[in-house]
Amino acid sequence: MSLGRRGFLQFCLGAGAGITFSPLPWKLMDDSCIWSQTFRGLPIEVPVPPVGEVNIEKSVCTLCPGGCGISVRKVKNRAVKIEGTEGHPINDGGICILGVAGLYQLYGGARVKSPLKRAGNRGEGKWEEISWSAAISEISKKLSQIRRNGSAHTVACISGKDRGTVPQLFKRLLTAYGSPNFISMPSSEDTERLGLKLMQGEDASVGYDLENARYILSFGSGLIDGWGSPVRVFRANSAWREEAVKGLAKVVQIEPRLSNTAAKADQWVPIAPGTEAALALGLAHVIVKERRYNKDFVMNHCFGFEDWTDNSGKVHKGLKRMVLKDYSPDVVSGITGISASKIVAIAREFTRAKRPLAVCGRGKGSTPEGLQEFMAIYALNALVGNINKTGGVRALPEVRTTAWPAVARDAIAKRGMSQPRFDRAGTKAFPVTESLFNQMHTGKGAYALSALLIDGANPYYTAHDKTAVAEALDSIPFIVSFSSHMDETAQHADFILPSHTNLERYEDVPTPAGLNVPIIGLSRPVVDPEYDTKHVGDIVIALGKSTDGIADSFSWDDYESLLKETMGGKWDTLVREGYWKDESYSPAAWSSGFKTPSGRFEFFATGLYKAGIRSNNDNDYLPRYEPVVLEGTSDSYPLVLIPIETTRLADGAVANSPYLTKTVADTVLRNNDIFVEVNPKTAAAYGLSEGTVAMLKTPTGEAKVRAHLYEGVRPGVVAIPTGLGHSAYDDYLSGKGVNANDVIGTVEDPVSGLDIAWGSRASLVSI
Amino acid sequence: MKEEHKEGAHGHVEKYKYGMVIDLDKCTGCGACMVACMTENNVPFRKDESDKLVSTAWMRVFKATNGKSYPDIDVCYFPRPCMHCEGDHGHSPCVSVCPAVATDYDFETGIVSQIPTRCFGCRYCMAACPYHARYFNWWDPVWPDKMEKALSPDVSPRMRGVVEKCTFCFHRFQRARDKAYVEGRREIREDEYQTACTQACPADAITFGDLNNHEHEVYKLKKSPYAFRLLERLGTNPKVYYMSTRSWVRREGDNYLKGEKSK
Amino acid sequence: MDSALIPEGVKRCSFGKFALWIGFWSLLMLWALAGAGVCWLKGLNQTNLNDYFGFGAWITADLAIIALGAGAFFTGFMRYILGIEDFKPIINFVVIIGFICYSSALAILALDIGQPLRGWHIFWHANVHSMLTEVAFCISAYFMVLTIEYIPLVLENRQLDKIPLVHHFSHNLHHIMAVFAATGAFLSFFHQGSLGGVAGVLFGRPFAFRQHFAIWPTTFFLFIFSAIACGPCFTILVTRITELITRKKLVKQNVIVKLAKVSGWLLVGYLLVKTLDTVYWAMVTLPNMGVSFMDMYPESPFTIWILIAELGFCGVIPAIILITEKGRNNNLLLIPAAILTCIGICLNRYVMTVQALALPVMPFDNFVNYIPNWAEWVTSLAPFAYGAILISLSYRYLPVFPQEKELNP
Ligand SMILES: Nc1nc2c(c(=O)[nH]1)N[C@H]1C(S)=C(S)[C@@H](COP(=O)(O)OP(=O)(O)OC[C@H]3O[C@@H](n4cnc5c(=O)[nH]c(N)nc54)[C@H](O)[C@@H]3O)O[C@H]1N2
Ligand code: SF4
Ligand code: SF4
Ligand code: SF4
Ligand code: SF4
Ligand code: SF4
Ligand SMILES: [Mo]
Repeated sequence: MSLGRRGFLQFCLGAGAGITFSPLPWKLMDDSCIWSQTFRGLPIEVPVPPVGEVNIEKSVCTLCPGGCGISVRKVKNRAVKIEGTEGHPINDGGICILGVAGLYQLYGGARVKSPLKRAGNRGEGKWEEISWSAAISEISKKLSQIRRNGSAHTVACISGKDRGTVPQLFKRLLTAYGSPNFISMPSSEDTERLGLKLMQGEDASVGYDLENARYILSFGSGLIDGWGSPVRVFRANSAWREEAVKGLAKVVQIEPRLSNTAAKADQWVPIAPGTEAALALGLAHVIVKERRYNKDFVMNHCFGFEDWTDNSGKVHKGLKRMVLKDYSPDVVSGITGISASKIVAIAREFTRAKRPLAVCGRGKGSTPEGLQEFMAIYALNALVGNINKTGGVRALPEVRTTAWPAVARDAIAKRGMSQPRFDRAGTKAFPVTESLFNQMHTGKGAYALSALLIDGANPYYTAHDKTAVAEALDSIPFIVSFSSHMDETAQHADFILPSHTNLERYEDVPTPAGLNVPIIGLSRPVVDPEYDTKHVGDIVIALGKSTDGIADSFSWDDYESLLKETMGGKWDTLVREGYWKDESYSPAAWSSGFKTPSGRFEFFATGLYKAGIRSNNDNDYLPRYEPVVLEGTSDSYPLVLIPIETTRLADGAVANSPYLTKTVADTVLRNNDIFVEVNPKTAAAYGLSEGTVAMLKTPTGEAKVRAHLYEGVRPGVVAIPTGLGHSAYDDYLSGKGVNANDVIGTVEDPVSGLDIAWGSRASLVSI
Repeated sequence: MKEEHKEGAHGHVEKYKYGMVIDLDKCTGCGACMVACMTENNVPFRKDESDKLVSTAWMRVFKATNGKSYPDIDVCYFPRPCMHCEGDHGHSPCVSVCPAVATDYDFETGIVSQIPTRCFGCRYCMAACPYHARYFNWWDPVWPDKMEKALSPDVSPRMRGVVEKCTFCFHRFQRARDKAYVEGRREIREDEYQTACTQACPADAITFGDLNNHEHEVYKLKKSPYAFRLLERLGTNPKVYYMSTRSWVRREGDNYLKGEKSK
Repeated sequence: MDSALIPEGVKRCSFGKFALWIGFWSLLMLWALAGAGVCWLKGLNQTNLNDYFGFGAWITADLAIIALGAGAFFTGFMRYILGIEDFKPIINFVVIIGFICYSSALAILALDIGQPLRGWHIFWHANVHSMLTEVAFCISAYFMVLTIEYIPLVLENRQLDKIPLVHHFSHNLHHIMAVFAATGAFLSFFHQGSLGGVAGVLFGRPFAFRQHFAIWPTTFFLFIFSAIACGPCFTILVTRITELITRKKLVKQNVIVKLAKVSGWLLVGYLLVKTLDTVYWAMVTLPNMGVSFMDMYPESPFTIWILIAELGFCGVIPAIILITEKGRNNNLLLIPAAILTCIGICLNRYVMTVQALALPVMPFDNFVNYIPNWAEWVTSLAPFAYGAILISLSYRYLPVFPQEKELNP
């Protein structure tokens, strides 16, 4: 056989053409295209999200108390996106990182899918699924039994908040039942309400008119790090930026670390941690000395500025004498580490500025500040006369809603309610305070608790000194959690009665912290419940109906009808707009605005005296700087630890979603290691370099951390991010880094009894 | 007033030129834009995303400092979507190199598209992009629990082994265009097409619109004396502008020789 | 045992010894296949590549291998197009080296893409503006050419040649080989150039970007130049290694020396042009982008020493040896010079890919480094094992070296 050149070429061409025009290559190409989209060696396919009719449902976000309006994009019955509602008075279309990731709270991991009863030991993680009716009946049986035994007052409730219908329902449950022990988780709002009550005589929140302020003196408030109603403050900050370009606004941030707020401010004042009150009083000294205060307000509407004489003829010190004597710029400079000239300059700027405003509440405001620290900072507002003025501060009342029928109190209820509170709030020890969560775990409770209901709070994670909290709570024999998620606290409960998440339920959202106008929002069910959960309000009503002797106080059919009834005439507006704003509100005039004993704005808090606090030292009634005495000595703990709070990590009872964790820099979290920030100078002194593994020790605990060198933190200070170190939830959240609260202890404010620990002494040793 | 629809160099009708102006003085570094983008565009997440070199975020917020020491240090955040570089007449760094036309310059909108089903994962485009705006799908996308329910049908989830990036939420443009056509309009209004990050930004730091349209906010803002673009000197011709009153921030936006003056 | 397959008139080691030798390299190949397997099955998350280093060990290996394999087309070019008959005795061998290099390169490319099943999109949806498209087309076409060049050699095996159809087929192929050599040379000039273009067009990467000359960046020409300068050195090196292992002289000294001389003068030319290019880049291109020359060499391992190593130690020094009569005739100088030249080109391909990506371009971006993991190392180095196997098989069973009988009577 022979093959000529011609034949050879023909053969090659023929073969080529044959294959090309056969279906084979085309079929293979087509298939490979399909396989490569779905086949990846494992039987996992890239999901193809189903299409369907699109709907936008309006609601209010309740992942933090910010109260933002949200619009949820739905495809058929699936919620696919959360956005801010355009035109909403709080957020006008904007949304924060936690809110925009909110669908993880609904569809993501760690949901409690049905009522659970503990099967193993506490915290062991063994559960038995039970029906709602069995759960309600077992719990109410237990509550009935305690009540019969005469220990009604030993049942307590911890709630994440104390305003709104849900906390009110819990309070009602306790009142009808016979316990005064409704405990809300602490925040700087607690101190602020207290301070406002003393200085202005109003039971109200402090409203900051940020939008109209033009010189903002922030004493560590994380204005763009989650303080107040976060999106609202972001928006105010952007307005300040626009004005600042024209020279019409200025923000001064006083904080030991260059936080995002400090970085965006026009001036950063790196103060020694915890000395803000001293600085405020130093500024007051300059203002008083140079007679820069608002004479009309201070002379005609204030009490306790000048020295005064009481009925018995005793002369008392006024603010003026105190600041002039004790808080000269030189003295304050020594305390705060800020030069005297800078103190004088800031004081002058503050008084010269158009619409100045002093703001307080460190970071997000999760830790209360000392009462007198608040008074010192708030006094600056009074000195410039911005109380109840545009761009100033004001006492913001609750929105009025329809009152509920009075609680039916039987004999047991009356006896229980006459007992002192377990946490000694409102007793002689702390006569002006309403609720003191920290008394629970510092072991100072007045008596032992026999049952605890926990809603909207995660104290096993959010409270300082975790070990002590765990010990205290673990000693309570019966704990019921209402958490939607398997958080640290739910893990330690005996029963979990999972409530709907925010996107599955109705709820009223009261005016967020710091807002300048009274508003109420309506959170609405956007999707049907994903799991066998119930509205927490319905659970409380059911418990009320089935617990012995208190059913009369719970005559509502369900929470929804209760809410409608409570909102009364506002309901329609709430449903239509998603919010109801008190358009008629305006702050009271100076002449009629103060319901204090003196009828004036009080620098000297006579309310404290009236409440039974007796002291021979007038300073105890005045704004003043009292160093917070942190545990431990400077020999063994030469550094000072402060928290870093940012919006990228949720550190409250609503935990991060994986989306948030994903945005965190690798200088905060790397693998499972947390980084603490230290100044390079500090690092050099302690032999640390970038990434060095070190043991962070405080009197409260210790933690393995890595060092991140950052010029934006004061030498001698260590800063630790909050919001990491969960041990509960799912693999996307737990085991990452360290919970800052594990290494921060508690410090009791001498007047309010609140835990005011803004940090801790610490040492950092490389290992 | 809209500038006349222009004929581009290649005879394409250049109808819109979408772009952004990001005010760095307002940007708080909060990261809401990053997550808004992820949830809008079905970007998956994994249990450990701490290795930023393999973590996908079409919008990434970079942190810059002025390099000074305490207490003179200053910090600024740079949110970085895809710059939708126009280069020289659509010759953007990434588009010109992609061997499979899996990324393309759309002359109608000025948007640099990304076609994940065509991309075969050579990553040449990533080498070409100086902004690190492109991300490779190192893993299969997996959503835990019921999270697949939250996936939007407007954006296809991407498979392993392909590159993805910010699309200026192109599906939103399509949605707006369809709506306009149905209503018999040829033009899309400014408020009808806004990207997810722009809409979410709680600080209103991002402005989005048609850079050629005199009535759009971006047209005015880009002319600000404080406006600049990232790495302008490379000739990438980005459509994302930044603004800052701080001169060190503006200088940080590009490379300069010692002693050379910046914007 | 396999003596019937061995070409007539030459001596080969025992089959047992040969099997052991092949077995050793096969183990390495298996290891590499395991590396490739996990990458294909589980994806590129099995490597240390990341979003900053989309290109890493594999691309470096690809570019280096292709440059080293340039001996094939360039020797073919000199033999068939320029008609330099001196290179006839080595032409079979360079074809084998070329085949090894290009098939390795294609295999590594198939590993390197995220969606290997869609590799054909590069042809189907070809973007004519992309240098990579040009590379893909030229390399694939040239690989076919190399296969066609290799086939007749395979068919010359003693037993295969006995089959009439095979004999005719290979005879016919021989006749048209010049056409393929010419096609191959053309394709190769192009893809060596477009590989240079791959880096040079990256105007977002100051380290890689080069100004254009006609429609190509200067790296287009520099890559061709460096490849043809280095290819012959690699041929020398592989020949010498083969001789060392077989303990036989296989190619006459005049062929080797001639290759060395060609390589030396091309290297001189390349270094001159490369220096001019570097100076222009440093004085004009970089300052226009706002970066200084030294910004391009900021920290270890990318300090100025990497440039000095590439152009000095691995450029100037071997060039001097190769262009001097005494140098290239002295094996103790020639071999180190060839090695240095090959290292030099590998360094060049490394910096043009990895360093180009490692240097942050945005002022606020971080410098990060990248070290390949085992899967990348083992697959990048697999061409050595693959080459050893293919050369050994070819040497044992095919008449690769026409001068072998003469030199080993
Ligand atoms: N260490 C530390 N402690 C803190 C803080 C801190 O930042 N750090 N913050 C403090 C401050 S300021 C506050 S305001 C509190 C806030 O912290 P929380 O104490 O408790 O308040 P939230 O974060 O609003 O509550 C979220 C919890 O309620 C569930 N949940 C979500 N939506 C709803 C709902 O609609 N109804 C109900 N019933 N539950 C819901 C979630 O599953 C979660 O368990 O914590 C305080 N404690
Ligand atoms: S600020 Fe608070 S209320 Fe507003 S979106 Fe964020 S989490 Fe929700
Ligand atoms: S959402 Fe806005 S403020 Fe927050 S990081 Fe993004 S651009 Fe900046
Ligand atoms: S930013 Fe990068 S990905 Fe986006 S268009 Fe420019 S080069 Fe391409
Ligand atoms: S990775 Fe995909 S998009 Fe990028 S160049 Fe390659 S094929 Fe094109
Ligand atoms: S424009 Fe759209 S795709 Fe781009 S970063 Fe913003 S949200 Fe993401
Ligand atoms: Mo709070």
